[in-house]
Amino acid sequence: MVADAELLLREAGHEVDFPREQVCCGQPAFNAGHRAAARRVARTFVRAFSRDRPVVCPSGSCATMVAHYLPELVGCEPYEVWELSAFLAQAESKLPARNTGCSLAYHDSCHMLRELRIADEPRRLLEGSGAQLVALPRPDLCCGFGGTFSVRQPEISLAMADEKLAGARAADALVTADPGCLMHLRARAARTGGQPVIHLATALARGARP
Amino acid sequence: MQRMLEGRTTAWADLPDVEMLRERAREIRMRTISDLDRHLADFIAAFEARGGKVHLARTAEEANEYIVDVCLRVGAQLVAKSKSMASEEIRVNEALEAAGIRPVECDLGEYILQLAQEHPIHIILPAIEKTAADVAELFSAVEGAPVSPELEELAAVARRQLRKVFLSADVGLTGANFAVSNTGSLCLVTNEGNGGLVTSLPKVHIALLGMERLVPTLDDLAVLLQLLPRSATGQKLTSYTRVFTGPRRVGEMDGPDELHVVILDNGRSNLRGGRYEEMLACIRCGACLNVCPVYRKAGGGAYGPVYSGPMAAVLVPLLVGLDRAPALPHASSLCGACTVACPVKMPLHELLLELRKDLVEERVASARERLGFTLWSLAWLRPSVYRASTFLGRLAARLGGRLGPGRTWTRGRELPALARRRYRDLR
Repeated sequence: MVADAELLLREAGHEVDFPREQVCCGQPAFNAGHRAAARRVARTFVRAFSRDRPVVCPSGSCATMVAHYLPELVGCEPYEVWELSAFLAQAESKLPARNTGCSLAYHDSCHMLRELRIADEPRRLLEGSGAQLVALPRPDLCCGFGGTFSVRQPEISLAMADEKLAGARAADALVTADPGCLMHLRARAARTGGQPVIHLATALARGARP
Repeated sequence: MQRMLEGRTTAWADLPDVEMLRERAREIRMRTISDLDRHLADFIAAFEARGGKVHLARTAEEANEYIVDVCLRVGAQLVAKSKSMASEEIRVNEALEAAGIRPVECDLGEYILQLAQEHPIHIILPAIEKTAADVAELFSAVEGAPVSPELEELAAVARRQLRKVFLSADVGLTGANFAVSNTGSLCLVTNEGNGGLVTSLPKVHIALLGMERLVPTLDDLAVLLQLLPRSATGQKLTSYTRVFTGPRRVGEMDGPDELHVVILDNGRSNLRGGRYEEMLACIRCGACLNVCPVYRKAGGGAYGPVYSGPMAAVLVPLLVGLDRAPALPHASSLCGACTVACPVKMPLHELLLELRKDLVEERVASARERLGFTLWSLAWLRPSVYRASTFLGRLAARLGGRLGPGRTWTRGRELPALARRRYRDLR
């Protein structure tokens, strides 16, 4: 997924740097209420990333964490951080059409939709790549991951995943721009025999069909 | 419930400027709450000036004691109740029954639940999960004869049974959606008319009011009334919107002989002046329940016997103490839909995040959990240790899927596949 994101950024004409000291923005601990643990790990972000160029992240939830919560948590200046699809869209990137003839359903992950308000850009990019979009009955409904929620309330988490996956049955694949949603939906689909769940970057960089 | 959700979004979209209205409603509520003592004093003075009796109840017990005392003093044998979540909170029915007084719920949903001896599972639609067949079974027992699950017949049975209660009740007990502090008025919104029959037929009306449910003026009430029904059920107004100001006065035809208001604290003071004060702005519309993906799957009973949904996940731990409701702040995937739906713009999901922090810092969260996150953070503090942890992760994935949270995960899901080569090593 990260390799796919880098490919897309290069195809769009950007120079891409990957700071090797990065680990994590600390969100899993932050969302679970463990501020001290989150702060410790969030400092790895501050140590790894400079402010001399925009930071692009193929994750709506991580981008939200860095943009909205991390500066106050660690006591630093804000970063210019972009979620991947928003960055590609604002740069008016023209990407090769790798999804011609593919029907794809797009899931609006909660951070993307409600914190970052990014809903059109992923859809436009997918359509631009030749895909036909199949609307989910409730694209706005949470997939049920929610970090530790997925293991604190597993029955509810799975019921939410099943509703999301059922809505995508008509499509060749379900696409999401958030690794948390991706991991949870794919893991559930792998158990119940649902169709592929792939990251937006993968759909755009390699095409949704295997 | 889907109908309620769509009702709200349509009703909001029909308003010329719903965002401006929400902002005004929030401002009115927050302004009142931040100066609550003054507004309460104004309300009490105005209410008493018009002949009403006020009782300040710090606890549920004090509220019940007063209500039972009033009922005993007037020799009440039957109390007709209009729907009141606050009355569920203090469990007034139990207190009345213990004193030999019979309370009958006259809101249809609450009446059904009373017959079934169950608790409300939605703050606006208390018996929403009951089917016509369920209700027919309950009503057949009451009538002593079979009742068919046809809606007209069920309504006719309810009307027949409840008419008897309205006409013979000694005391009417209601909640209040809002109180207006400068006029000393109480406002009650219903769709069934129980709010009117319960408050005008019995000689005594007792209203139970959460201490934070005030607005300063009737003009402020009008702003909130534009949002409450639209947010709750998608209606511009409920069928009946009543504003009571005082008991029946000399020369008047309508109204009870006595009007009492019990102003209830029961933990609400815990929220005043702190990080959670804005939760007191809640107008109990239920919009957050209708939009919540977790409530949708779990149902109301999961949250507790009174309140449910996101508003309960925030409010109940604050009323009863985090140690008595530690699971509630985590009964959420933090999706934020509740914050979007709230007519008074309470940032519900951010309040939940704050409560989660309190769970950890007040050591209500288990030592094991706190240790787990501490160890994780120490490992992921250094890139070298992070690399080692992902190496171990690949080796021990199958084992991890059998222990602790990993085991919970694998009960319904496959383990995520870690990449064979790390991206950072391939670059």
